[in-house]
Amino acid sequence: MALLAAAIAIGLAAVGAGIGNGLIVGRTIEGIARQPELKSQLQGTMFLGIGLVEALPIIAVVVALLDMFVFR
Amino acid sequence: MEHEAPILENAFGIPWLDFNLSNVFMVIVTTLIVLVLTILGARKLQMKPKGVQNFMEWILEFVRGLISDSMDWKMAKVFLPLGLALITYILTANLLGVITMVSVGDTLWWKSPTSDPGITLSLAVFVILLSHYYGIKVKGTKKYLKSYFQPYPVFLPINLIEEFANTLTLGLRLFGNIYAGEVLLGLLVSLMMHTNALGFVGGAIPMLAWQGFSIFIGGIQAYIFTMLTMVYISHKISSEH
Repeated sequence: MALLAAAIAIGLAAVGAGIGNGLIVGRTIEGIARQPELKSQLQGTMFLGIGLVEALPIIAVVVALLDMFVFR
Repeated sequence: MEHEAPILENAFGIPWLDFNLSNVFMVIVTTLIVLVLTILGARKLQMKPKGVQNFMEWILEFVRGLISDSMDWKMAKVFLPLGLALITYILTANLLGVITMVSVGDTLWWKSPTSDPGITLSLAVFVILLSHYYGIKVKGTKKYLKSYFQPYPVFLPINLIEEFANTLTLGLRLFGNIYAGEVLLGLLVSLMMHTNALGFVGGAIPMLAWQGFSIFIGGIQAYIFTMLTMVYISHKISSEH
């Protein structure tokens, strides 16, 4: 049971992180295509956005690890 | 997992005071490394920098850019040492656990200090309390208290929850990233060491790739923590709405 819970947690976290990061990077690429001279600024903001969006999926990963190794 | 933590229970006879000695040790190591690096970078200052001084000047320029992105530079000059301390400390702390992890017997002694939630949450609470302190100091108590009721008084619970959410996510983001990286590093090592030769060969490339990725993530998380610190402080002390 604990393994099933951990798998569901990680799976949903992966979906959330994938969709969120995909949107961010896609818009960044669009922005770079429109104005190539802002490339480094847009890239910096992109990394910041990825770090923020991945916060909750990473917390879900920690919950899944906790579930796998602490509960039977 | 197989690693125990060396916990010193009931220190000084106080029943609720437990210290994780591995955290204490690693925090001291991190502080010493940052201290030695920055002192080495600042001696014999030359007009044309080379070596460690060049690196320190680059970090200072980077933090200066970070601060002036969120706040007006004249008000924010005082935060440059804070930004520098945060970014070098968190970067060093994140990198220490990637290079090696040492367990003596059954207990884990050398790891990243930021892979413990207590340490990252302490940093986050410290930073948020600092932002409140500067909010009161720069804007005065009345305007600070009024800011909780902006833009409409009905927003008061939302503003309060925002404070707690900021603190929690700031601390847990750093903890989650570094802890998950360390768990995977431990699992890859046990794949390479505790199974047969096929495991050793098959685990070498993922181990290298994951260590590289962990270094990258350590850098990014230090940058994000410092940037968010500056953004939160700027929300409290700037009042151009």
